[in-house]
Formats: sequence, structure tokens, C-alpha cells
Amino acid sequence: MTVFRVALAVARKDLRSEWRTRELVPALGQFVVLALLIGNFGFQIDSRNAATIAPGILWMALVFAGLVAFGRTFAAEREQASLEALLMTPASPVAIFAGKAVAALTMLVLCEAVLLPALSLFFGTPFSFDLVAAVLLATIGLAVLGVLFAAIVARVRAREMLLPLLTLPLWIPFIIAGGQAVQSAFGLPGSYQEAIGLLVDFDILFVVLTSLAARFVLDE
Amino acid sequence: MNRHEKAAVAAVALMLLAGAAIFLFAPTDFLQGPVQRIFYLHVSSAIAAYGCFAVVLVGGIVYLRNESASADRFARAGALVGVIFTTVTLVMGMLWAKPIWGTYWTWDARLTSTLVLWIIYAGYLLVRRLAEPGRQAARLGAVVGVFGFIDVPVVHFSVTWWRTHHPGPIVVNDALPAEMLATFFLTLACTLVLAAVMIAIRYRIETLQDEKENVLLAAQVVPARQPEAAR
Repeated sequence: MTVFRVALAVARKDLRSEWRTRELVPALGQFVVLALLIGNFGFQIDSRNAATIAPGILWMALVFAGLVAFGRTFAAEREQASLEALLMTPASPVAIFAGKAVAALTMLVLCEAVLLPALSLFFGTPFSFDLVAAVLLATIGLAVLGVLFAAIVARVRAREMLLPLLTLPLWIPFIIAGGQAVQSAFGLPGSYQEAIGLLVDFDILFVVLTSLAARFVLDE
Repeated sequence: MNRHEKAAVAAVALMLLAGAAIFLFAPTDFLQGPVQRIFYLHVSSAIAAYGCFAVVLVGGIVYLRNESASADRFARAGALVGVIFTTVTLVMGMLWAKPIWGTYWTWDARLTSTLVLWIIYAGYLLVRRLAEPGRQAARLGAVVGVFGFIDVPVVHFSVTWWRTHHPGPIVVNDALPAEMLATFFLTLACTLVLAAVMIAIRYRIETLQDEKENVLLAAQVVPARQPEAAR
């Protein structure tokens, strides 16, 4: 069985189990809408300053939704002790990691399908292809790093506390480049092309690095 | 006095020597005044911190290759000492920035990446504290150490398009007078010795802690984990 087929099988398993319970994605969707609500009360938003404030609220909501989503990635495996069984199969740990990352990425993209239109609706910011592209590119990097560190903390006590502490600093490059790209997409100064180029570079760098590290994290 | 105590006394004496050079030998800067004297220890401890994190990186890679327990102890020692030196760098930098830039903090590339550096390795120390000691924790630490080391240049690079306030490297393009240069290299050498001695002492402490852990394990006095194993 090739790596790709194993990865797809793992991703399909995770997504099917999510489809049957429908727990995480609705919760994430509700979470991001609540985050927008809090942003609305925390700032005095009007049509003039919405474009400067909305990118910040977008990334705050997305990052914390991501932490919730990635923290749940290994929850079922831990509760059922099925990760050991998964790792005992001849499937390579890299393929299992890739499958987990694809499933988590898909769930976060579904959450963004609520977040981005809701942001445009509530804050009146433009909903454009540029915005979607920037957020999706950043999501790839957030997902691979998030799932790698979720795997790291899965067997550590106080994992809810550790996951944000480890993941957030490593996400900063994506927030910097993604933040710049979204600001440009909302018409604020800054080069969109440059920011998107950086996002693509970071995606490639961290997809390669996390795949290399997955062997050491998902083992025994 | 044992080896480590002698080394500690020598390191403290060297730092006092460096202090004397900074305050008595080095000339006062014409533009910045006495505040400029912060530069010697600020830059030296930044370099020492990078050295410590390089120890974490190498220790982590060696551990992932051959599971050497001493490589992991070096990584743990390096992370702790590195966080201390990063703290010194940040605090001294802020004290310098207040009179010179008029603010303690600005989101400049180098300040941002140094803060991220501090957060990552403080996280490393937390992981090591919270994870059950053993192979698993050592592996996790190694992965965090390697990723942390890679992330810092990435953060630095990604914010450099913002206008950077931080003074550029002035040591290499001989903008410094000879006395200042001599003071800087003396401080750097003393700080590096101090860092090495601190890592050696911490390594010894980690070794003793590992031994204690092994003795406890051998004596089977960890009943808290037994019900789970039986399940």
C-alpha cells in the first residue's frame, strides 16, 4: 500500500467519524461566530475602521479555533487507545501523520467556510479570492505544525495547556505573512504578492520538516 | 571544593573582570553616553544564548539518531541556560532602548524574533517538566528543540520587510574604537565561559536527577502508574 493510500485511508476514517458524530465542526463554527461577536464588542467598529480591525479578529479566531481542532485530533485515538494499534500496522508513521493532518486541515477549512463569510457579513470587509487564497495557504502550515505538536503532547499530562504554548510561537511566521496578505486583500498598504510568496515558502518548508519529524513523534 | 565549584568561582571572577573592563577601561560613547556600556553584555549574552540553543539543537539531533541519554541531558542544560541568557539580552536591550529609542519595546524584526526565541525555549522547559521523564519526553524535547531553532531565522526573515530599528552589526565593520572592541571581545569570552560553566553544572544536576529517577524506578516505588499498566 502506498503512502498516499494509507494517508487517504486515515483521513477518510477521521472525517467519517466526524461525519457520524458531527461534534467538532459545528462547535468550531459556533466558536468562530462567538469570536466575531466578542470582537464586535471589544472594538468600536464602524465602516471606516473595519478593514484595519477585521484581519486581527480573523487571525485570533482562526488560531484559537485551530488549537481546539488540533487538540481534538488525537483525542479519539487516546480514548480508545487505537493509536498503538494504528502504529502496529505496517503503515509508515509519515502516512498516518499525513492522513491526520489532511483530516484536521479539512475540518479547519470547513470552519473557515463559516468564518470568512461571517466576517464579511458582520464587518462589511470585501470577500475576495485573494482573502480565501491567503487564509487557505496559511491553514496548510497551521495544520501540519498543529497536528505534529498535537501528536507530541497527546501522551503528556496538561496537554491542553502545552499545545498552545508550543504551537503558537511556531505559527507566528504564518500569522505574519498571512496577516500581511489579508491586510492587503482588505485594501491596506503592503505587498500581497510578497506575502503570498512567503506563505508558499513557509508551507513547503514546514510540510517537509514536519514529515521528517513525524517518524520520531509517532512511534512505539 | 570540587571541580564544578572551582569552575563557578573562576567564571564569576572572569565576569567581574569583564565588568571592570566595561566600566573602567572602555571609553564613554560620545553620542549615547554611559548607556552604551549595556552593549557589551547585551550582545555577548545574545551570542551565548544562540550558542546554548545550538547545544539544544545538536543534543536533540544526536538523541534522535542514537538515543544517547547524555545528549539529552546536554540539550536540557542548554535550554535552561539559553533561556537565562535570552532573558538577560531582552532586559538589557529594553533598558538600553528606553533612553535611546524612547520606548522599551518596538515590534522590530530582531526584538520580535528574540521574544519568540524566549517563548519557544521556555515552552521547551515546560514540556520537559510536564512530560513523564523517559524516552518519550526526550524525543518530544528533541523535536521541539529542532523546530525552535529553525523557527527563529524564519520569524526574523518574515519581519525584516518592516522597517528595522535595531542597530546593525557594528563589530565586524570596525566602526568601534580599539578599546571598545577589546572590551567587547573580553566580555564575549567571559560570557561564553560563564555559559559553558553553567551548562556543565546543570548537566551534572540533570545526571543526578536521572540517577535518582532510575533508582526510584528500580525500587518500584511508582505505584501511581500501576493500575493503568494492569488495565
